[in-house]
Amino acid sequence: MVFSRLFFIYIFLPVCLGAYFLARGTKMKNNVLLLFSLAFYAWGEPVYVLLMLLSAVINYTAGRLIGRYGDSRKSRITAGLAVFTDIALLGVFKYSGFIVENINHIPSVELPVPDIRLPIGISFYTFQTISYVIDCLWETVTPQKSFRKFLLYVSLFPQLVAGPIVRYSTIEKEIDERTSSITDISYGLNRVVLGLAKKVIIADQLGIVADSLLGGIENATAAAAWTGAAVYAMQIYFDFSGYSDIAIGLGRVFGFHFDENFRHPFMCRDITEFWQRWHISLGTFFRDYLLYVPIFGKRRKYGGLFLVWLCTGIWHGASWNFVIWGLYYGLFIFIETLIGKKRMKKIPLVIRHIYSKAVIIAGFGIFYFEDLDKLGTFFTKLFSTGRLIGLQDRILLVNNVYLLILAVILTFPIIDGIRRISQRSAPVRTAAAVSLPAVSAALLLLTSILLVDQTSHPFLYFRF
Amino acid sequence: MNRSDVQKRLNSIFCDIFDDESIKISDSTSAADIEDWDSLEHINLIAAVEEEFGMKFRMKEVSGMKNVGEMLDIICERGSK
Repeated sequence: MVFSRLFFIYIFLPVCLGAYFLARGTKMKNNVLLLFSLAFYAWGEPVYVLLMLLSAVINYTAGRLIGRYGDSRKSRITAGLAVFTDIALLGVFKYSGFIVENINHIPSVELPVPDIRLPIGISFYTFQTISYVIDCLWETVTPQKSFRKFLLYVSLFPQLVAGPIVRYSTIEKEIDERTSSITDISYGLNRVVLGLAKKVIIADQLGIVADSLLGGIENATAAAAWTGAAVYAMQIYFDFSGYSDIAIGLGRVFGFHFDENFRHPFMCRDITEFWQRWHISLGTFFRDYLLYVPIFGKRRKYGGLFLVWLCTGIWHGASWNFVIWGLYYGLFIFIETLIGKKRMKKIPLVIRHIYSKAVIIAGFGIFYFEDLDKLGTFFTKLFSTGRLIGLQDRILLVNNVYLLILAVILTFPIIDGIRRISQRSAPVRTAAAVSLPAVSAALLLLTSILLVDQTSHPFLYFRF
Repeated sequence: MNRSDVQKRLNSIFCDIFDDESIKISDSTSAADIEDWDSLEHINLIAAVEEEFGMKFRMKEVSGMKNVGEMLDIICERGSK
């Protein structure tokens, strides 16, 4: 099931909220959430829900065994086997087609390419279970004894299908005991509406502009290629951060406090900082569990860096353009490391902004074009000369000028700023408190109108 | 090993790695206090500490150490020179 569907917003969610708040005590509330989470997933994945259950059983068992064996060799073997199984399942269901296709490039090899559809959310829940098993081994969390609670952690519907990648330690206490105050519920619901609006009002509309600019890349001008990739970058940002807003907001309604996943990434001054602000839960996952893997000996700094960015690329999809995309970022971060933070700071701020935005925008071109020939065309177009922009593209941009201006403005921390100002004095605070529900209601109405009229637009990060 | 000796030697490693002679570490010093101490510099720091004290950190420790105090405890426990 997808959040940006009228069925979810007006039927599933209200029924779920009603049942949740009628239920007494955390145990009953957990049961309600688990039931709705499994229904939510099975709605879209009636078969693969079994795969998720299998993954939960394996990792739950591994956690229990590690708890029993303590700090011993047996624990390390158990954790190793569990992580291996997790990666193997991800490999089979996400990458087997890609791997076989590439093996088939070897002359005289012709294996049948398996046609396996990607189970929704597998990349996200697999990373959650991996982090859980490693945390059990490192004794940073206590292995969960109740399978029902562990399954709730894996399947919790707000963040199940597209993150953030929630660490078990984040919800360890709240899964046992939590409350949702009126403030939590109000904050959460407003955040959900904001996320829906970012997705439906902005991202989906930007998508139409990006597709028409990048669709005919063969005939595009340099300006059209740059603008198209920039619009696409904003589309992905509003799509994915909108999803994170909904996940964090729903979590809060149910009394969970998930960590933020985005911090205005386009405000960054260099590429290193971009990745400290973009999809934070993925970056910290790789930092904590992969960067320090002791396999590179003396070259462990750059070895680790290279490995992390290779995996970041591959994680995003079974396709070469994602591998290139990951290594592309790794390369710029490597260069920034060579220059060093102190020297980077001496470069004028405006140049650092131009540099980082150019790298990010071209980077989203790599993200967009899965076809490597088209990707090559895109890069030649970026640096082509000639007429500025075609008539059709110009009309497209003029017709969408308000949308584009709004999108650019909202990449800055405008909403945080308004929130801060609204706390300054009592009259402003009252005015803000009164107008917030009205603004939210208006956004929800507009979102609903667009959804009634819309053909299917699932969240883009469902693909990963 | 004497903890304050270890701290002195560790302090000079910090000054060296982060290229800043004014750094004065204490038990509560963490990555938040030293601007250049990010996840990649952390690797250099770990490598330098391992060499200086003739020891190896476990991955769990590399990833999990929260401040200099925890690092000092591990060095005092396992450092060999």
